[in-house]
Amino acid sequence: MDRLRRGVRGIPATVLLIAAGAFAAFPLFWLVASALKRPEEITKLPPVWLPAQPSLDAFGEAFRLLPIGSAFLNSFLIAGLSTAAVLATSVAAGWAFAVYRFRGRDQLFLLLLATMFVPPIATLVPLYWLVQSAGLLDSIVGVLVPQLANAFGIYLIRQFARGVPTELLDAGRADGATEWQILRKIGVPLLRPAIATLAMFAFVYYWNAYLWPLVILQSPDNYTVVLLVNQLLSYTTAVKYANVIYAGTLLAIIPNIVLFLWVRRAYSDMGFSSAVKG
Amino acid sequence: MKLRSARVHREAVGMSPATPWLFVAPATLLVVATILTPIVMSGWISLHSWSMLTPLSAMQWVGLDNYATIFRDASFMRALGNTAVFAGAFVVVAVPVALVMAVLISRSRARGARVVLALLFTTYVIPTVAVALLWGYLLSPRGGPVNELFKLVGLPIQPWLGSPRTALWSLVLLTIWQYLGYFTTILVAGLTQIPKEYDEAAEIDGAGPVRRLFAITIPLLRRPLTFATAICLINGLGAFDAVNVLTKGGPSDSTNVVTLHAVRTAFDYGQAGRAAAMTMVLLIGVVVAVGGVLLMSKDLQD
Repeated sequence: MDRLRRGVRGIPATVLLIAAGAFAAFPLFWLVASALKRPEEITKLPPVWLPAQPSLDAFGEAFRLLPIGSAFLNSFLIAGLSTAAVLATSVAAGWAFAVYRFRGRDQLFLLLLATMFVPPIATLVPLYWLVQSAGLLDSIVGVLVPQLANAFGIYLIRQFARGVPTELLDAGRADGATEWQILRKIGVPLLRPAIATLAMFAFVYYWNAYLWPLVILQSPDNYTVVLLVNQLLSYTTAVKYANVIYAGTLLAIIPNIVLFLWVRRAYSDMGFSSAVKG
Repeated sequence: MKLRSARVHREAVGMSPATPWLFVAPATLLVVATILTPIVMSGWISLHSWSMLTPLSAMQWVGLDNYATIFRDASFMRALGNTAVFAGAFVVVAVPVALVMAVLISRSRARGARVVLALLFTTYVIPTVAVALLWGYLLSPRGGPVNELFKLVGLPIQPWLGSPRTALWSLVLLTIWQYLGYFTTILVAGLTQIPKEYDEAAEIDGAGPVRRLFAITIPLLRRPLTFATAICLINGLGAFDAVNVLTKGGPSDSTNVVTLHAVRTAFDYGQAGRAAAMTMVLLIGVVVAVGGVLLMSKDLQD
């Protein structure tokens, strides 16, 4: 009886969960289905829900029409180098904020944390001018300039590092390890879930960046994947290219999805619980 | 307490006082150089007449003229209003829905619940530009899949991005689709920190699910809720990507937002001083909104 009651009470919850799942899944389904359609199916009205004969032609066409290879290389360089830099600066700073006490520590941490709430547009004009003055317009280095450190990263690592037991560090010190060695040999292995989570967030964030690369990069050779997708828009007027646009869009999101599924598999809650606790 | 001071002592003996500073220096210097200094520069530029194409020395001091101009500019005021409506609608829908989803997912024993969470989060890792492109097709007024589904279930079809009446709400819809899973994930992580016993004890005492949500879950979830609300506000107030891809502010200014207006003013019209003033107004708006949320959450704490 009790079990039955529980089961009946669970029905609205299940319906809501399924509705949310469908809300999230439907556009993704539509993206994949449309990328697999042939031109004669993609132009049909009312739309065809499932391609009768799934075809990869649209992907071939996307590679033929667009510099996808160089865009992927540029995006991997920008997102990869930014992520590496953010990891290095965040781990060092987040660790120090968590395990050391020094004058002005809390004030400095709050100041850095506050920059998390600065909308990117607030720094765009001066940053553009700085990059322009340094002669770095239309270069990958120019895009990297403001992407080497990030308050969210410092915060995430610090929250996680606060849970590291002091005894471990003291044991290291007793063995004569320097503070740098303690971070590398004891800290980094313990911080692995947080580092993996941060790596995912940083990579996704910089891979997806739009406004900053848009103003810095001008020649198509330097375009990132996102700028290429942006450029696909000019094709949207031609209905027959719609499957190619879907295919290009699908290609653009695959690296992030693979990265997310991989981090989730390795660290099920992705270090989030430490990030949100006191 | 004793343990803590012993630890401090040991550190003081074991290492140079410069060590912590060396650890925090790279991040601090980069943040100062690429965020804090540009904000101050932005404030300074906003008091001048300047196109970005000339050297800084060519700037002309105009005092608060740029601010006077933009507050008289109907188009900017419209953008300011749209930005507030967009961010407000985003927060008011996304955070409560994420809260309900998070409670359902973390209380559910079904394996499918975790799959739903992963599915929801997947939308967050997709570039906004791709989200916008995809939803542009989905919401196509003629023969778009969403209107086709509406027809199937007997709902009136909508002009979506094509009408000034519905365009901003269409952008809110796709932004919620993109971020819902992110906020849900943050809140699920927060819920795992709350012992189940609190909820079970209240249930035994006869408290219904709604009562338990307000009396137990929300107060205990204060920190992640504050975090999610703040992130939501910042992303909503700073929105640019989807607007630029889908509507460029139209139709008839109904989706123009501050970031888009500032980018155009600086890069299309070469009025960087005026654009800087707009970004300062937005920054103050974000500080007030996020500050308000942080204060409210402090009040809840006491």
